[in-house]
Amino acid sequence: MEKAIVLAASAIGAGLAMIAGVGPGIGQGFAAGKAAEAVGRQPEAKGDITSTMLFGCAVAESTGIYGLVVALILLFANPLIGML
Amino acid sequence: MGEYLQFVTIDVWTMIFTWANLIILFLLLKKFLFKPVNKVLDARAEEIENTYKMAAETKSEAESMKGEYEQKMLYAKSEADVIIKSAVEAANRRSDSIVSDANTQARHIMEKSQKQIEQEKKNAIDEAKEDIASMAVDVAEKLIGKKFDESDDEKLISDIIDRI
Amino acid sequence: MNGPKVIFEIPLFGGIKVTESIVNMWIIMAVLVLVSIWLTKGLKVRNPSRKQLVVEKIVTMLNNLVKDNMGNGYLSFAPYIGTLFALSIFGSLSSLMTMRPYTADLSVILSWTIVTFLMIQANNIKHNGVGGWLKSFTQPVAFITPLNIISEIANPISMTFRHFGNIAAGLVITSLVYGGLASLSAAVLAWVPDSFLAAIPIFQVGIPAVLSIYFDLFTSFLQAYIICMLTMVFVQSSGK
Repeated sequence: MEKAIVLAASAIGAGLAMIAGVGPGIGQGFAAGKAAEAVGRQPEAKGDITSTMLFGCAVAESTGIYGLVVALILLFANPLIGML
Repeated sequence: MGEYLQFVTIDVWTMIFTWANLIILFLLLKKFLFKPVNKVLDARAEEIENTYKMAAETKSEAESMKGEYEQKMLYAKSEADVIIKSAVEAANRRSDSIVSDANTQARHIMEKSQKQIEQEKKNAIDEAKEDIASMAVDVAEKLIGKKFDESDDEKLISDIIDRI
Repeated sequence: MNGPKVIFEIPLFGGIKVTESIVNMWIIMAVLVLVSIWLTKGLKVRNPSRKQLVVEKIVTMLNNLVKDNMGNGYLSFAPYIGTLFALSIFGSLSSLMTMRPYTADLSVILSWTIVTFLMIQANNIKHNGVGGWLKSFTQPVAFITPLNIISEIANPISMTFRHFGNIAAGLVITSLVYGGLASLSAAVLAWVPDSFLAAIPIFQVGIPAVLSIYFDLFTSFLQAYIICMLTMVFVQSSGK
């Protein structure tokens, strides 16, 4: 019974943890928008802008990835069950 | 089905194997990929550098040769100028001397002939004078009937003639 | 969802479990080494073959990447960056060959980023001396030292989770899609009397390829690029 409660709570927690994906989504949207603006203003620098944007996006993604890792840990390597 | 590890887990042996793999692959790639290719790239860069250097050398050599030739040409031209000038000068001088020779000769001839003419003239005048004097004496003798003293006559007559 | 499968066990130190990740890595390594031996066979200074042009292009690109991001003094890093890049991208792409990508194994990525972490510290010590290295933690003010230490340790962890999270998420989503498509085709084909025919997951043909383009090709390349870039940037900036 306790295990079932912990598992259910972990699943809900994993789902909640993925709300963290909202932030990077907004941030990367901003970055992509700015990059589009920059390409519009300076089309000859498209390659540089794109690689810089991808790099920045991938770094900004970290927080979302942390949420994902927490969700993965809760789902696949749950440390809470061991505490019972 | 075999045994599985957990999805999110840190396995020490996997880590040790990964380190070993990383080092082995690093060494192998360095030996088999980077070293030979970098060697070839360096060799090519060196060869290109050498080619450029050689081309620059050849160019500078050609340029110096060209300068030399140009100098030589200039020298030859000036020499030719000098030769032509001296030839022209010599010719001028020669022609001048010829002309002046001719001139002096002509002048000589002219002078000579002038002198001759003058001499002839003088002779003629003298002859005429003598004739006139003798004629005058004759006339006077006939007119006066008296024979003049030779010396007086002469003096008188020449005075008269001079006075004419 | 399972982790990497244990392929065999070496009966030493109470059993060393050699997992799928390690075996896949060996396969990738063997392929990489054999391909590079084949590519660098018969290199010529003049009139290079097309094969040689390709290998020269790859090496020049890696050299330039290192030169542009780290400067000429770090050119000896090019083979390591190349190794890391090749291991990362081909590890992630191995999922296209139905191998389990070893980049979705936390231990593998963590060992790489620990190497990066050690490189950062070693480079710092090499350039600033032990005193300068210790002093760099107290910059700009002394009481910030614990934060500096935490941020220094957070670097490799964040790099690990970024790489691992991206590839693992791709793996999870791809297997979820495969499972979903399998049950969908099972449901659609339920009327077929022959149980063998009904078991063929027809929806698995083609549809996952669209996801695969993003999760395998794009993410693999991007994460390999990111981990190399971050390694270069961190190591280079630690030497100042």
